[in-house]
Amino acid sequence: MAETLRRVLTKGGAAWSGEENTPAAGPPLLLLGTPGSGKTALLFAAALEAAGEGQGPVLFLTRRPLQSMPRGTGTTLDPMRLQKIRFQYPPSTRELFRLLCSAHEAPGPAPSLLLLDGLEEYLAEDPEPQEAAYLIALLLDTAAHFSHRLGPGRDCGLMVALQTQEEADSGDVLHLALLQRYFPAQCWLQPDAPGPGEHGLRACLEPGGLGPRTEWWVTFRSDGEMMIAPWPTQAGDPSSGKGSSSGGQP
Amino acid sequence: MAVVLPAVVEELLSEMAAAVQESARSTGPRSLKFLFGSSATQALDLVDRQSITLISSPSGRRVYQVLGSSGKTYTCLASCHYCSCPAFAFSVLRKSDSILCKHLLAVYLSQVMRTCQQLSVSDKQLTDILLMEKKQEA
Repeated sequence: MAETLRRVLTKGGAAWSGEENTPAAGPPLLLLGTPGSGKTALLFAAALEAAGEGQGPVLFLTRRPLQSMPRGTGTTLDPMRLQKIRFQYPPSTRELFRLLCSAHEAPGPAPSLLLLDGLEEYLAEDPEPQEAAYLIALLLDTAAHFSHRLGPGRDCGLMVALQTQEEADSGDVLHLALLQRYFPAQCWLQPDAPGPGEHGLRACLEPGGLGPRTEWWVTFRSDGEMMIAPWPTQAGDPSSGKGSSSGGQP
Repeated sequence: MAVVLPAVVEELLSEMAAAVQESARSTGPRSLKFLFGSSATQALDLVDRQSITLISSPSGRRVYQVLGSSGKTYTCLASCHYCSCPAFAFSVLRKSDSILCKHLLAVYLSQVMRTCQQLSVSDKQLTDILLMEKKQEA
C-alpha cells in the first residue's frame, strides 16, 4: 500500500505522464493523524488511484458513510473509478470481525485494495491488547487472502487510518506500538506549513525500509480539492501548490 | 507471508529443519536455542507430536491450529505473526523480548519441514473457526 500512496502523493504534485502499469501496492500502510488532518481524503484518493489501474475493485470499510465525497486530487471524480469502490459500514467491532473472518466467503472478484478508516473507533471498543492484535492481524490476513485470490504477481494492498490525539493516553500508546509491529510503512499527517502565513498539512511517508522518508505539503481548496506538492526543502520557498488531476488518464 | 521473517530467522529455521531431518534430534542448532530459548525445544516437541494442523477451505484461505501442551488449542494466522496464546500476548506484544511464541515457531518449522496435519473444512466452517477466537475473548 505504501507504493500506491506514494504514487497518489507524487502524482498529485506534478503533471504525470509516466507509466500507468503499476504492479505492486507495497507493504501494508498505516495512516496516522489528528482529527481533521485529511486521513479520509487521502484514503479516498488512494482508493481512486487503485480503482483506475484496471485492477480489481476496492473495498473501503468505515463506520459511517462519508459525510461528503472527498474531492481527491482531480477536478472531477471519474464515475468509472467510483463504481469500483465498494463501501461497507461495519457498525461495531464485532461486525468488523465478522466481515474479516468471512471475507473468503464473499463472492465476486477479490479487491486489489482494502482500506479501513477510523481504526481507533473499533479498537476503543475492545481495549484488550490481544483483541486489538487479532483485529490487526485479521486485517493483514484478509489482505493476504485477497492477494492469493488475485493470483500470481498481483497483490491486494492494505491501508488503515488511525486517528491520534495531541496527547496520547497509555491505551493509545499501546495500540500504536502494536500497529507499528504489524505495519511496516507509515504515513503521518500533521498540520504544518512550509512558511509563515501558510497553512496545510505535512504528509510524511516512511515506507518501512524500502526507501527514504519523503514528505509532501497537502492543502485543501475551498471546493475541497486536495492539492499536493513536495515539501520544500528550504523554508519560505514553497513550490506552487498547483493541483493537477492525478491519474486522470483512463 | 505478508510479514517477512528476518532473514536470519529463516536461515536458522532451515538449518533446524535439516538437523531434525537428519534425526540428530537431541542436538538441534544451538543458535536457534540461543535466539528462542526453551521455546525452540518446546516447538520441536510440538512438531514431533504432530500437534500442528493446517486448516484450509475451498477458498484457499488457511489458518493453523496448534494443540498446546496444556491440551488447549491455539490459533495461529499463517500470513502474519499472530497466535492466540497468552505467551504471545504477554511476551511478544507487551514486553517485546521474544520474537515468536513456541506455537508460531512450531508452525514455521512445520512449514519448512513440510510436516503437519492437514484438515479441509468448508468456507463457512473456516469463518467460524476464525470467529471463535473473537468469541473466546469476549
